[in-house]
Amino acid sequence: MPRFYHDDPAWSDVTPIPQLESGQVLAGISYTAEYSEAMSYLRAVMAANEYSTRVLDLTEHIISLNPAHYTVWLYRAQTLSALNRNLREEIKWLNPTALKHLKNYQIWHHRQTIIDRLGSCDGEQEFVEQMLEKDAKNYHVWSYRQWVVRRFGLFGDEGERKWCEGMMERDVRNNSVWNHRFFVVFGGLKGEVEEGLLKRELEYAQDAVRKAPQNECPWNYIRGVLRQAKKPMSTVKEFAKEFADLEKPDEVRSTHALDLLADIYEEEKKNDEAKTALDLLANKYDPIRAKYWEYRARSLDSAAVEA
Amino acid sequence: MAASTGPSQPSFSRLRELTPDSDRIQELSDAGTDSEFEDIATVPQYELDNIAYFDRMRPIIVDDLKTETSEVQDETLNVILPFLEGNPNEFPLNEFGLPHLQRVKHARYLDDALGSYSEHYVALDAARPWVLYWSLQALTALGEGIGAFQTRVVNTFVPCQHPDGGYGGGHGQLPHLAPTYAAILSLAIAGGAAAYESINRRSLWHYLGRMKQPDGGFTMAPGGEEDIRGAYCAMVCLSLLNLPLELPADAPARSCGMTNFLDQLGDWISRCQNWEGGISATPGNEAHGAYAFCGLGCLSIMGPPKETLNRYLDVPRLIRWLSYRQCTPEGGYNGRTNKLVDGCYSHWVGSCWALVEAANGTGIWNRTALARYILSAAQAKTGGLIDKPGKRADAYHTCYNLAGLSAVQYNHVFDEDMKGSVGVGELAAPYHWWVAGLYEEGKIWVEEDMVDEIHPVFIMPYDAVSACRKYFEDKEGF
Ligand SMILES: [Zn+2]
Repeated sequence: MPRFYHDDPAWSDVTPIPQLESGQVLAGISYTAEYSEAMSYLRAVMAANEYSTRVLDLTEHIISLNPAHYTVWLYRAQTLSALNRNLREEIKWLNPTALKHLKNYQIWHHRQTIIDRLGSCDGEQEFVEQMLEKDAKNYHVWSYRQWVVRRFGLFGDEGERKWCEGMMERDVRNNSVWNHRFFVVFGGLKGEVEEGLLKRELEYAQDAVRKAPQNECPWNYIRGVLRQAKKPMSTVKEFAKEFADLEKPDEVRSTHALDLLADIYEEEKKNDEAKTALDLLANKYDPIRAKYWEYRARSLDSAAVEA
Repeated sequence: MAASTGPSQPSFSRLRELTPDSDRIQELSDAGTDSEFEDIATVPQYELDNIAYFDRMRPIIVDDLKTETSEVQDETLNVILPFLEGNPNEFPLNEFGLPHLQRVKHARYLDDALGSYSEHYVALDAARPWVLYWSLQALTALGEGIGAFQTRVVNTFVPCQHPDGGYGGGHGQLPHLAPTYAAILSLAIAGGAAAYESINRRSLWHYLGRMKQPDGGFTMAPGGEEDIRGAYCAMVCLSLLNLPLELPADAPARSCGMTNFLDQLGDWISRCQNWEGGISATPGNEAHGAYAFCGLGCLSIMGPPKETLNRYLDVPRLIRWLSYRQCTPEGGYNGRTNKLVDGCYSHWVGSCWALVEAANGTGIWNRTALARYILSAAQAKTGGLIDKPGKRADAYHTCYNLAGLSAVQYNHVFDEDMKGSVGVGELAAPYHWWVAGLYEEGKIWVEEDMVDEIHPVFIMPYDAVSACRKYFEDKEGF
């Protein structure tokens, strides 16, 4: 049932501002009469800086017609703040809307604004989980979760890390989970990475590699952890060799192990070995990136010349 | 990255129904020895060549473990492969056995995209500036003149300009850096004094000042999110319109001691390079192709890429991450680790390379494989370009696939000593690029499949870039 304002006594004091006509335009939209009128009233209340309950109703109405409308969301947030509204109610209203429009950017920013003002993230982790059930790699949902961690000081939080492990059991290839783990574990870290932490994180990633050696994520994670801890890559040399041994070039079990070995040999100034690994990648195991592997081999030469 | 607009796209199961050929390869390889000869005999030579190529590119190492990621990847490859190997769209083929660029169909598609929309497209209401930018840019990439649209471009943006500066998606909408960026680029592509003069540069400068944050980055809108798109869009506006780098007196960041738009910006971008080596939307998020381009574009406006990229990024780690975005065997790019190939990353990742190569030496990426994906898998049968077979065309994927194809076909050079009539003053680095020629090695396209050269930092025609900047370099004050 379309909703109109022109015959609504509650809105009789407002003179709507119709969309400006500016001659022939491109990509014009033939709006429905309902949307067109609602937007005219929004322009009018915004021009008058009106923050009121009826403005909240109006924004809710427009959001139902077009949830991808950042202006309406931003103005709704301002109105809520000006009216000092019960923000828990807002979250309750927001939940089904978010679940219905998974890819919508604005909803997440709105949520962040509200939760920030509320100053409590009670229930947020559960809600995020519900969203990830539907779309386990949604960038906005993960970014929101990272904001929650930062805002509410969940760095190093064991519960958050365990939750990541549950997500990882569902899909060890979900790179968003790997990123979140890294963020939770190292994001709040000041100073050195302690040995125990380093060991735990390396072992976690190494276990994941064993489940699926060709999975890119845990190999990248190992690199990230070593870099964070300022440790050489040769720390994991023996581990990498389990999956790629230059003596057995036909039995390579992971291109990522070869890639890592190339870096380890470079670190050890064993350029011939590094080149062998890069050759295997370029010519046999990963030819689509041949130019990249060749570039890496060239870089070895130029580094040798400089030295 | 999915386009933020347009109707929802079919799910993969639906997509399989729509793709009658998805089981063809399976049939070919499962066929018994008797019928195999017959089947092969009916397959044309170009297709046999393609099949042989993709057999070589297929990963040799495949893990047994099945997860959601590997299952979706396998399903998707089954849908895409017939397009890479054969020609289900029945396009005319070039001498390399790949579909020709369907220039006429794409141009017609884009003309339509600039036309009017029914009420069902109300979701576009906040994104119309984007539709204009994507369509106009894609048309110029196809070598189409856009002079006929000039007045209508200006007309469209006049009501979008906010009295407090910047552009919204339409009349009465709040200013936001995404539509502002799309508006400025569209007006610059349209060109001419009427388009340039329609921009209120003084109020835009104040608006940009309000977006500058105490940590060095930029928010997209008042009360809106801060991410790396904001940084790139702000730099594009400041540079193209030759605005002062000094923060306006009313910029809130001044209360934190900042005086310049560039204050702590490079460091903020640095913080967006994460443990993977790629670049994320904000510090701590997952590395993502579209944000990588925004970060590199921003740095390439701040100064010569060789200086700025190497100062603020660990370039070898970035290169590694970018290289890994190329999907094998598909040849197109994905936007994140273990995600699916998608035609829009032909640009978001593909266009990173010119900037990276200006900082670190050339010849690092596989251009041919990307061109294969674009020509074979990313052209819609009826015109327009797409994410992947089975998806619908939209202006976004049309623009960015064509930009990727252009990145493949040309060699761009950054030349610090370039002396032109444009590129003096602040943020002048992006006016030191020129096209050093065509990329020829292993090319699988012909003259007819060429798109025009595109400025590697702004993603619009070179001449439109310099004409716009020149206009505002010659102009006194605002
Ligand atoms: Zn896409």
